[in-house]
Amino acid sequence: MDNPAPKDQDPNEPQLRDHVYDGIQEYDQKLPNWWLFTWYITMVWFVIAWLAYYQLGYGKNDSEAIEGQLARIEAIRQKDLEGIDDAKLWELSRDPAVVEKGKATFLATCVACHGPDLSAMMAGAKLPGLPLNDQEWKHGGNPLNVLGIVRKGAPDVTKGMTAWEPVLGLDRVIEVVAFVMSHHKEGEPVTLAPDSPLKEENAAPAAAGGS
Amino acid sequence: MKQSLNTTSLGSINSDGSKKNIHPADVKGRFMFWRRAVSLVLLGIYVGLPWIPVNGFPAVFLDVLHRRFHFFGLAIATQDLWLGFFLLTGLGFSLFYITSLFGRVWCGWTCPYTVFLEHVYRRIERWIDGDAPARRRLDAAPWTAEKIVRRVIKHGLYLLISAVIAHVFMSYFVSIKGLYSMMQASPGEHFLAFGVVVFLTFALYGAFSWFREQFCVIMCPYGRLQSALTDDHSVIIGYDQKRGEPRGKASDPDAGDCIACNRCVQVCPTGIDIRNGLQLECIGCAACIDACDSVMSKLSRPKGLIRYDSYTGLQGGKTRLVRPRTIFYSVLVVLGTIAFGFAVNSVKPVRASAVRMPGGAYFVTGDEVRNQFFVRVINKLNEPAQFRLSLDGDMPEGLQVNGLDEMLDLPAMGEAQKTLVLSVPKAAFSGKIPFKVRVTDVDSEMSVLTSQLELLGPESESTPTKTLNAKDYIQ
Repeated sequence: MDNPAPKDQDPNEPQLRDHVYDGIQEYDQKLPNWWLFTWYITMVWFVIAWLAYYQLGYGKNDSEAIEGQLARIEAIRQKDLEGIDDAKLWELSRDPAVVEKGKATFLATCVACHGPDLSAMMAGAKLPGLPLNDQEWKHGGNPLNVLGIVRKGAPDVTKGMTAWEPVLGLDRVIEVVAFVMSHHKEGEPVTLAPDSPLKEENAAPAAAGGS
Repeated sequence: MKQSLNTTSLGSINSDGSKKNIHPADVKGRFMFWRRAVSLVLLGIYVGLPWIPVNGFPAVFLDVLHRRFHFFGLAIATQDLWLGFFLLTGLGFSLFYITSLFGRVWCGWTCPYTVFLEHVYRRIERWIDGDAPARRRLDAAPWTAEKIVRRVIKHGLYLLISAVIAHVFMSYFVSIKGLYSMMQASPGEHFLAFGVVVFLTFALYGAFSWFREQFCVIMCPYGRLQSALTDDHSVIIGYDQKRGEPRGKASDPDAGDCIACNRCVQVCPTGIDIRNGLQLECIGCAACIDACDSVMSKLSRPKGLIRYDSYTGLQGGKTRLVRPRTIFYSVLVVLGTIAFGFAVNSVKPVRASAVRMPGGAYFVTGDEVRNQFFVRVINKLNEPAQFRLSLDGDMPEGLQVNGLDEMLDLPAMGEAQKTLVLSVPKAAFSGKIPFKVRVTDVDSEMSVLTSQLELLGPESESTPTKTLNAKDYIQ
């Protein structure tokens, strides 16, 4: 205003600002309005986001979001487990569709130790697993006992029966248990193996109760 | 006062910062004809690819839900996404290569933004609102019933076309079938897909009805790189100053060939005057060439006052397409293509991986040492396959292998995890034994190996097999 544009400036060119540094001058041009408007929106958004997220605590941070999702998964799993009891598993063991699915999983994953016919024998050789087709059980013969072992693995980690729920997921574990139980009948006699940890457990409360 | 075009401010922005709506005049000519033809082919490809089945899948199907990417019958699994490195860098480099030779032909001829803008949206505008002067008149006219009707029709068509383009885009990710079933259902059932389509529709509508050349001029980084990618021998669109200047009337014998008719400015979609030389805004659309050529033909002067030529060529020199830069780029393109070829060939139809089963490194039962592993096999092909699993390594005597005996049948793109149990008599175990699992496709006999595994057992090295003898260590 005080300093008019240099006289030698081309009228077609935009105005030069009079500020000079190292011989460099700037044009006095307006930014596109849409560009400025976008910039103003980011400013408004900053205030909103700062207030909402940092001051008022709306929204979750990443770890909270992950924990929320994990809790949701756990809740679904718990809900799935709620409906599972011995009667339900026996019922599933009589459902050919479920048993067929369980068989497929068994033949891919469990067969290496327990054998295709559940006898833990293969071509005359003893396999590492325990036989599942007889009435002698190490960890209990109720479907829920079997489910617990398949889900969480054997209590004695030196034996090699790993926890399968993280690998297969609960649904497939239940199918496998249904397949195993389809080789048994509800109400058949169950004997505990000589080295069964359940024998001691059963004995301990009895002793405790007697004292 | 009307400010004439210069190279220091944008022709599409008024001095108060508001956007100047550019209404390019109609132009006819050989380049326009071929550009329309190219755009039709490209639009046909864009709309058609999801409809063409190859091997039971759309020709291009980026199935993010199942993490499989189908390209003309080739199914790429997530594990092979590293190939995308070659694809993206290859596309980027091809752009550099072409720019060094022919300037921004990509922008003017094939960029989707230009294709949609020039050959779809501007055609609609031309059809509803008339030619450039008529459009300018309508812009300035008060809001009469006729203007309102025209505007509603035009923007309605814009929105409709934008929705179609957005749906086609979505079909690349969910297939035409998936898209159709989603369209039958309520938006809430596929909220993400619905949201993407709505967002895209309005983004396309905003971009092509209003934002237009601002994207090319201000937002697209490629135009900014132009000065680094071209040199004096790159073929660009240029004005032959030697021939054209000084501008004057056609009847003036002292004047050059340019008669200052301003046709080249009127047809420019980015609002520049090509006679000021190569500018950042120029998208190489060749509209000014066609415009100038038709004027020159009327004056019976030779065509090509504005033409595809290099800066050197426009100065009267000879354009050299073969020069150190282009030779270097060509070598890089050949190397990149060879690398890409090897990379694609190295993609195996099956993937195998193995890990030790959680629980313990090894198990000892009786006089046996036992190792347990998970073997995961993924059939990446989109057809069922049968696999044979075997051990690859120097395995000890008496090894009992469980879990690999049966053939593994996998459905198309299926995967399975098998349990592998290896038992070896304690007596035969004398230290860890490295091995791999080989997975062989029964049909093609093509096989892949897992990463290396180790058969572990009670560490035998801790009990030296040989008594130390000092003589062994002294020469």
